[in-house]
Amino acid sequence: MIIPVRCFTCGKLIGDKWEEFSRRVKEGEPAGKVLDDLGLTRYCCRRMLLSHVEIIDEVARFYGGKAVEEAEG
Amino acid sequence: MNVQILERNEDSMLFVVDGITASLANTLRRIILSEVPCMAIDDIMIIENDSVLHDEILGLRLGLIPLKTDLDSYNLPEECSCQSELGCPLCRTVLILDVEARGGERVVYSKDLLPENPDVAPVSGEIPIVKLAPGQRIRLEAYARLGRGREHAKWQPVSSCIYRHVPEIKVDAGRCDACGECVEICSRNVLERSGDKIEVKNMLECTICRDCMRVCPQEPAAISVDGNENSFIFYVESTGVMPVERIIEEAFKIYDKKYSEFLDQLLVSLNVSEKD
Repeated sequence: MIIPVRCFTCGKLIGDKWEEFSRRVKEGEPAGKVLDDLGLTRYCCRRMLLSHVEIIDEVARFYGGKAVEEAEG
Repeated sequence: MNVQILERNEDSMLFVVDGITASLANTLRRIILSEVPCMAIDDIMIIENDSVLHDEILGLRLGLIPLKTDLDSYNLPEECSCQSELGCPLCRTVLILDVEARGGERVVYSKDLLPENPDVAPVSGEIPIVKLAPGQRIRLEAYARLGRGREHAKWQPVSSCIYRHVPEIKVDAGRCDACGECVEICSRNVLERSGDKIEVKNMLECTICRDCMRVCPQEPAAISVDGNENSFIFYVESTGVMPVERIIEEAFKIYDKKYSEFLDQLLVSLNVSEKD
């Protein structure tokens, strides 16, 4: 759904690294290099970012009606 | 006993301890993992949550955010003089989150959590907590308190705390013909061939997998790899809540306290039985 705050296995903080990771990978940098730069050395933390699919944007769309509803009364 | 620090960063430390036993090394590791306290959000009062994440998931995410910990100014709730279920300013602190998405979509970050005490703030301000669609709002009060890793992993001050034996690599120069097979197979690049000799280049990288012994054409192998039973390579990596030195120092204090309590009780019992 949304990037987990910590690595499931070791507990390292990874949440704050997702946005940089996803932006740089989208810009065409090799994922492995970005992970090295972010200081993720263990493969448990690396898979957290590597295998993550940010799906909350898709879900949030369907909850966006509240503002519209309120505006229309 | 000899301690040598090999690498020290803001959040991690690599050091070699010589002259201790595995049981002592493991005691330190286990105390760090399950006894050294740190701050984490525990109770949450959710006033409003319109987001797509349910209250429980939101609570879990908030709990996992590492908070900077000042062990000197807070007590563990079970040891605090207030003995109150709700806690007092000496054993808990509040963080407030009040965010509304106006206009466009809004990502709620850990920096939006407003701490009552600025010393107990999230380690990083860039942790996404949730995303809000236009018009959605989150309002909550989060109560942080000290806790121990044995209760929940969110109170674990380290993300990695491991030790391993210091490797001992011996090359029998008399029988080794420097064929280089061991250099080739080593995945950690520990060995190096210089002229007609095999030399150990970076011993601490060795994981004692013994591939080099298996691949050696000599019978028995001209190279031997073993772990030194009495020296350990320690690696401690903090989650950012406290400096590593402080975590280790605190672990030893806890160890001392446990055993001095034990001794006190033992002496009391001995005195009682002598009087009888």
